[in-house]
Amino acid sequence: MTREEIIQKVNSTLAEEFEVDESKISPEGAIKDVLSLDSLSLVDLVAVVNYTFKIKIPTEDLRKIETFNDLYDYIEQHAK
Amino acid sequence: MTTLSSTQSNSHGDGSATAAPADYDVAIIGSGLGGLECAHILASQGRRVIVLERWRQPGGCTQGYRRGGYVFDTGMHYVGGLDAGQPLHDAFNRLGLLRLPWVRLDAGGFDRVTIGRQSFRLAQGYDRFVDVLAADFPAEREALERYVAAVRQSDNVGDMQMSRQMMETNAWEWLTQNFSDELLVNVVSGASMKLELRKESLPLFTFLHCNGGYIGSAWRLRGDGGQIAASLIGDIRRMGGEIVCGAEVVELVEDDGRIDEAVCNDGRRVRAAMFISDVHPAVTMQWLRGSRMARGVYRRRIAMLPDTFGMFTVSVVLKPRTVRYFNHNEYVYRNADVWDFYTKKGPVGGLMVSCRVPEDAHIDASGNITDSELYATQIDILTPMLWSEVAQWESTSVGRRGDDYKAMKQRRAEECIELASTVVKGLSGAVKEIYTSTPLTYRDYTNTPYGSAFGIRKDYSNALMTQLSVRTPVPNLMLTGQSLILHGLQGVTMTALATVGEISKQYNNR
Repeated sequence: MTREEIIQKVNSTLAEEFEVDESKISPEGAIKDVLSLDSLSLVDLVAVVNYTFKIKIPTEDLRKIETFNDLYDYIEQHAK
Repeated sequence: MTTLSSTQSNSHGDGSATAAPADYDVAIIGSGLGGLECAHILASQGRRVIVLERWRQPGGCTQGYRRGGYVFDTGMHYVGGLDAGQPLHDAFNRLGLLRLPWVRLDAGGFDRVTIGRQSFRLAQGYDRFVDVLAADFPAEREALERYVAAVRQSDNVGDMQMSRQMMETNAWEWLTQNFSDELLVNVVSGASMKLELRKESLPLFTFLHCNGGYIGSAWRLRGDGGQIAASLIGDIRRMGGEIVCGAEVVELVEDDGRIDEAVCNDGRRVRAAMFISDVHPAVTMQWLRGSRMARGVYRRRIAMLPDTFGMFTVSVVLKPRTVRYFNHNEYVYRNADVWDFYTKKGPVGGLMVSCRVPEDAHIDASGNITDSELYATQIDILTPMLWSEVAQWESTSVGRRGDDYKAMKQRRAEECIELASTVVKGLSGAVKEIYTSTPLTYRDYTNTPYGSAFGIRKDYSNALMTQLSVRTPVPNLMLTGQSLILHGLQGVTMTALATVGEISKQYNNR
């Protein structure tokens, strides 16, 4: 998957699952704020990434993912 | 005490908010151990509680079942950590469960693990545990000390960072790195029929916690495990709580961002300020189909989590005065493949034998049996059984599964008795009657998908998703039970305390 494809897939999937307008997602945007995530729904994000990209995110790694850009990077590095 | 029920308002969507007191402070769905423990604690705090149970008998996996004049256990066989200062002591004291007739298992070997022709003892007391095994594995004394230190660390569930770290560590890899001798890995894992050993997923925390409490002290009940549910229910009713059987919840109705009522299949509607589900989370998600708070992504991720395997149980009634009572558990394996024997084809490769304490046994104040001669009347034999082994009968119901199913159970039971006879001398000739159950039986009696014995499978590589929170996106709906934080009597009790803790937080925040 190219980075462009990852970005497109992440944005469309998260917009649909978390019921937000896709135009509100920007690379520098804070994931928690844009998707209105609390500690419980943060795990929903982990689940979506798991099912969509077959990537498991450990707790330590999750802490480092703050912006959508961080998430694109993480998926790019870990996608098989 | 703050009373949620008297302050909750019920918006009708027309701009008016009519005060409509709920019928109960807390409605608990499911009467397994976790549900009853939550009900007990909440009732003791003065809350008005109701427990809704779909089955005609309460108790979940702790319920006993009667056949031919004998009562057999569904899931409860022994418990650890009841001595003062140990993990379950205070909780069981608070729940009134210490007054039950607990029998202390043999201090020198509460579990005996036989692998092939070699037998090993797991002793009570951390130092003695090390000493006894170090006598068989002298080169591994330091590794045994590290193991026991880790077990004790895992008991400190309040240390969240440590728990999380152990939750994200692979148990099999940790054990094989800690011990040089793989036979010893098999031995310390040998009493783990109370959890699903799985090399590729089992977290170290789950492994250590499920084994640790027993090393402190190990106990079984005189009589059946149903006494636990009966004791809790008696107390709950005395404190004003209600237990209703035959009330199967089919929907949780959400209104204004909160669950307003539980709808049962008999038309009963129960309104409460707070709800706790002690039913498998995947089943709970089905009741929330119309929820706006619990979004599809949450419901799907819970519903898709895989479950642990189920168990095949042979409940044996013995001929009178044929087998001496043995005050320990026997674990028997044909080969040193404790972690994956159940995935291999062929006859049963490993099992647990639990001996029921005879009803006429005498117990002293310390929980020791004082009879010099005691014969067993019943034993249970348990071995893992995968869903794939019973899937062909999944559309059948209890008592109507056909002759081929009966033949499969008979063959399995004979294999179990043959293997158990290698440690329980004379067992084959002592069998008076047998009763068997499979994961299908568990599924139909306890409403657990795939008849899973321990609920949702924890995965060290996916701890965030498999270690479920007791909270849900609906603020007045909590979860409890073996699929949540930990399973087993100790795990479910710790989880119930966490669930009630969340409820208390909500009361305090109002």
